[in-house]
Amino acid sequence: MAVTDTTVRAAVEPLTAPPRRRRHRSPATWARRGGLTTLLFFLPLLLSFGYFSWWPILRSLMLSLQQTNFITSTWVGLANFERVLADPLLGIAVWNTTYFSLLALVVGFPVPILTAVFLAEMRRTRGVASALAYLPVIIPPVVAVLLWKAFYNPGANGLFNTMLGWVGLGPLAWLNDPDLVIPSLVLYATWAGFGTGVIIYLATLMTIRTELYEAAEIDGARILRRFWHVTLPQMRGVLLIMLLLQLIGTFQTFTEPYIMTGGGPENGSLTILLLIYRYAFVAGDYGRATALSLLLAVALSLLSALYMWATRRWSTS
Amino acid sequence: MTHIRRRPALALAATFTAFALAACSQGAGAPDGDASDADTEAPVTITVGNMPTTENPELRADFERKLDAFTEAHPNITIEPEETEWAADTWNALIAGGTMPTVISAPFTEIQSMIARGQVADVTDYLADSEVFSRLNPSVLAVAQAEDRTYAIPTSAWTMGLLYNRDLFEQAGLDPDAPPQTWDEVRTAAQAIDEQTEAQGFLTMTLDNTGGWVLTTMSYAFGSTLENEDATEATIVNDATTEVLDYYQQLRWEDETMGSNFLVNYDDAVQLFASGQVGMFVQGADNYTNMVVKNGMDPEHFGVAPLPQQPAGLGTLSGGNLAVFSPTATPEQLAAAVAWVEFRDFLKYTDEEVAVSEAEAAAADGVAVGEPALPVVDRDVYDQWLGWVEPYINVPRENYDLYLSTVEEVTLVPEPPAKAQELYNTLDAVVQGVLTRQDADIEQLLQTAQDSFQSALELG
Repeated sequence: MAVTDTTVRAAVEPLTAPPRRRRHRSPATWARRGGLTTLLFFLPLLLSFGYFSWWPILRSLMLSLQQTNFITSTWVGLANFERVLADPLLGIAVWNTTYFSLLALVVGFPVPILTAVFLAEMRRTRGVASALAYLPVIIPPVVAVLLWKAFYNPGANGLFNTMLGWVGLGPLAWLNDPDLVIPSLVLYATWAGFGTGVIIYLATLMTIRTELYEAAEIDGARILRRFWHVTLPQMRGVLLIMLLLQLIGTFQTFTEPYIMTGGGPENGSLTILLLIYRYAFVAGDYGRATALSLLLAVALSLLSALYMWATRRWSTS
Repeated sequence: MTHIRRRPALALAATFTAFALAACSQGAGAPDGDASDADTEAPVTITVGNMPTTENPELRADFERKLDAFTEAHPNITIEPEETEWAADTWNALIAGGTMPTVISAPFTEIQSMIARGQVADVTDYLADSEVFSRLNPSVLAVAQAEDRTYAIPTSAWTMGLLYNRDLFEQAGLDPDAPPQTWDEVRTAAQAIDEQTEAQGFLTMTLDNTGGWVLTTMSYAFGSTLENEDATEATIVNDATTEVLDYYQQLRWEDETMGSNFLVNYDDAVQLFASGQVGMFVQGADNYTNMVVKNGMDPEHFGVAPLPQQPAGLGTLSGGNLAVFSPTATPEQLAAAVAWVEFRDFLKYTDEEVAVSEAEAAAADGVAVGEPALPVVDRDVYDQWLGWVEPYINVPRENYDLYLSTVEEVTLVPEPPAKAQELYNTLDAVVQGVLTRQDADIEQLLQTAQDSFQSALELG
């Protein structure tokens, strides 16, 4: 096909034509085009997030660089961070928190998955059973923690020790034993949190197409292979996000040690959040408290990023 | 798309700036004027904290009665009562948010750091003209002073004592009218209670700074403080504190008279004692209302004895509550708030009619009248008040003869001068270690605490 003059001109024109004048949008135009309405709808969101989320974040950033008693504040640079990193309790708190998280992962993560798989197999009583599984979540955390504190009574007549006594074991000191305190807290946390996991996993299981199981069955897969090759891969998106949420949640454990043990015995259950609390409300040192909060936030962000990167191959999104 | 992205960013920046400016414009500042500027006849509104909650209807009724009487006597003063109380974790928020009531009650432990931070008003000049404030117990008033200025009014005071259950003493074959006066006697009594009754003989608190608080008290009784007077050196490693921990170790591991739970906070201890599950523990001697009125303990079971002292003992820790005033209050508000405190807590010491009517009403409501305490006014004024209200005393004071007859003879040793709560918190772990590990190395525990608290002191 011959190249006509018109074609050439058409191709060249956009390049040689003077640039189109950028349309000036005056405030009046902006308002006429609905800008005000947009702003009106946007403002409550902006104000509420600004006041309740962004401003406290900015404020804590500022506090971490200050020494303050809320009457006068002095800028101290990175001194608060140095003091946090030099505190011998930090190592203890990091170790306890990591131990708690890992134990909660090993013990607490599979329990709701297996329970959900089991419940999914139930036909008639699934509704009642899942409601029963969810029941612990309905109990207010403080009440539940206090209840478990009583269960963990280290005397021979404590509930758990009585049960152990039936099989000739114990009594154990539970929360009073520096070696048992974290496992005891994990046991409680697993009980308290597994109801939510069960409901989420159960909902995911219900979305898996039955044809996949039928096909696997025709191929001769037994129950374990069906679980391994069908159930788990189909749930992987939810599993990955739940694992991340659990990691972040357990690294921020506070209520259980605060109410049950106060971080004791001998700082055996001192977690990072409890240390932050002590900095702020025992020592009245908000600079150190916010510095450690920021360090934790950075560590959790890095952990999350690393986790997302490491699991990108299995991710569904 | 660029301009669309930029606008929220600009809006955000503007919002932050607005917040930052607003925040900078807040902050407590001293009010203009002093006591001589106060126009005591002008209409004024003040907020007062510590209104008892509805869970304590008798105490609330008593508070409301006083409020009505005060408003009637001072028609120009409007009082807005609040249930706000001092708490370690909310105090700074009250200051930062500018919502501290004009007057609120705070414990002895906090006042010196509040003064140092400028968080309370200087009320020296507002107290000058009052008859009763010139008769305050000097050793108690000293707690509220710094450099000859007064920053608070002590409203109640007590010494640490040995609380004991008189009923359990009887059950164990001990004489409740002859409480232990040495630590060896305490140990023997604990063994008897543990053997003869269902209760544990002795208890010590260990959580929320109470373990360190009691260890400090015990260290005083055994002969040492834990911080030097200048608050520059921690003196946690000392013979007296080591002796106390040895004593704990004996009761816990040799005698087994301390029960099995060693994660006990103040509320746990109060409940255990009030319900008759504990024979003895070291606590403020002012706990009659707490045990009997709030927790239903039989008044005849409540016993309090002076804290035993070793030969080298320094004395006992004192404690109590003070009325502190907002540093942002105007002179009129401060004058009104001081008048309210005088009316609420001190008029009974100077006006017989008020003393009698208050005692009569309190007794009718089941509130304790004449409970054991360290007088906040001098002995003559206090005895005069006791004489006025004698017919309404509903507390078996004869059960505390030994405590009451010696309370003013015991040397009062103040709280550690700096970072007391941090010290107590550090010591909690020491006490927990001794009580939960049979092989706990006391010297090492104390050395770790010493190093940790020394660093805290050096941080200033």
